[in-house]
Amino acid sequence: MRRLFMEPIGIFILAMLCQVYSCASNVSDSVERIQYASVAGEEYLQGDKLDTNLDDKVYFDFDKSTLDAEDKNLLEQYLPAIKKAKIVRLEGHCDERGTREYNLALGERRALEVRDFLVVKGVSGKKIRVVSFGEEKPLKSASNEKAWAENRRVEISLY
Amino acid sequence: MIKFYLLSVMLISNSIFSILEIEILKGSDNLSKIAFVPFGVEDGVEEDYGMQISQYIEKNMLLFGEFENLDKSEMLSFPSSENEFFYRDWKVLGVDYSVIGRVNSVNVLGNLNISYSLFNITRRIKILEGEIVGSEDNIENISKIISNRIYEQITGLRGIFDTKLAYVINSDTDTYQICISDIDGKNEQILFTSKAPIMSPDWSPDRKKIAYVSFENGLAEIFIQDLKSGKRESVQALGMTNSAPVWSPDGKSLALVVSFSGNPDVFLYSISNKRLIRLTNHYGIDTEPSWSPDSKKIIFTSDRSGSPQLYEINTKSKRKKRLTRDGNYNARGRYFPDGKSIFFVHGNDGNFQIARKKLSSRYIETLTSTSLDESPTISPNGNIIIYATKDGLNGYLGGITLDGKARFSLPVKNGSVREPAWSPLIN
Repeated sequence: MRRLFMEPIGIFILAMLCQVYSCASNVSDSVERIQYASVAGEEYLQGDKLDTNLDDKVYFDFDKSTLDAEDKNLLEQYLPAIKKAKIVRLEGHCDERGTREYNLALGERRALEVRDFLVVKGVSGKKIRVVSFGEEKPLKSASNEKAWAENRRVEISLY
Repeated sequence: MIKFYLLSVMLISNSIFSILEIEILKGSDNLSKIAFVPFGVEDGVEEDYGMQISQYIEKNMLLFGEFENLDKSEMLSFPSSENEFFYRDWKVLGVDYSVIGRVNSVNVLGNLNISYSLFNITRRIKILEGEIVGSEDNIENISKIISNRIYEQITGLRGIFDTKLAYVINSDTDTYQICISDIDGKNEQILFTSKAPIMSPDWSPDRKKIAYVSFENGLAEIFIQDLKSGKRESVQALGMTNSAPVWSPDGKSLALVVSFSGNPDVFLYSISNKRLIRLTNHYGIDTEPSWSPDSKKIIFTSDRSGSPQLYEINTKSKRKKRLTRDGNYNARGRYFPDGKSIFFVHGNDGNFQIARKKLSSRYIETLTSTSLDESPTISPNGNIIIYATKDGLNGYLGGITLDGKARFSLPVKNGSVREPAWSPLIN
């Protein structure tokens, strides 16, 4: 047993187990925790957003959370600005189709997809706050393909 | 804080301001016809009461489009007791059932004794009689009890006229309210108003509390609100984002969704000791749990197969079973009260409609015909489904009887209404 845990895979499994079964307080350091946004203790929201001159949204297909080449290109352009930012806030949203609770999870999945891309590009996960509003805060309230496409988004804001 | 919430619970609007009112869209051609004869009144009792009670009963019985009535102007007689009742007077008018009754005074304090009888005209027998003593201020509620008994006698199903509905109203972009009202839309109460979204209301089995999700602190968080005191309590399920609460049939726990580091899974949460027990453990999305009536299983939505589909899990053995295979979107399942069928949101060709499926069969039956239908909730007697849908920019509630006989809608006067949750019966 002792030898298994010396193996990298053993450490990985142990870390995953810690993450999955343990309370937030004793998660292994080797696994980075997702930082969820909340108003309480999130003073950054009171400050001004950093102006990046970049489109502040990436868009998704229905029931999908994958980033296409265009999205990745946009996110890469964010990297210099993110270096200067204290907080990167990622807000995931869905269109109105399908069920509300599933969409809440899907919006989170979308925000995490953006987060993971930024982390791979070297951004510290500690800087990133994710939150999903599911289908609760559409940009456009019409029920057509155009409005739905605009509503399936992750909004990026830097503070 | 508590004081404020107490106040908000007391905001009971008058019926003229009530937001929902049921409109029958389609009734069937071959509904049973019922004659609601104005009740007779004893000397000394306010004469209007007789007419009021029969009108309340009539309105209840016609509420969901399940019956038709005989117009009072066509009635040949107005019996208020069995010895004044002649079957031929009703047979000749094509009536299937007649309801008659009498209001007697019990004492000077305004207490009334209301007796009622129900006759089956075809079989020429009295099938129900009863009496209720109550205060004259309470005529409407007494009429609900009488309506329940009449409904039960005719249909063999539990009466639901004293049930309630919870729902979320989004009156403008930044105002979200969670409300409850009587099932006919009267007596609306606003439980909580917020500038941030509110989601997923669910009644405790004793009807004393409602669990829901509020974003007031910036992220999805579950609250339990006591309806009498208005007191709200946050379910701090390990301080993470959490959602989709549903009460267990015994009221002791919630099934809910907790997302640890971006992976939503279904958990059981014990209300008394605040402990979480993990039920599902998959990197896909697992959400929208709901209990089977016998508490042994939980249905949930998962995209583990690549698209949202319904599964059930045995809460003891943790054995899972996939329930839906047809179509690429089957989500937010709920069991029928008999536990033998499920109803859910079924996506088909870009339309999202309410559907049902027997657990023993593969066949999915679509029940609604609009395209953005969601959040179905079933009457405790298993006979009616109310769901949320959208017309133009506004959300409203639609309803159907499961025998296919009637469709109705509950339009909202301003803003959008959604996420209906039908209360349990009071036992």
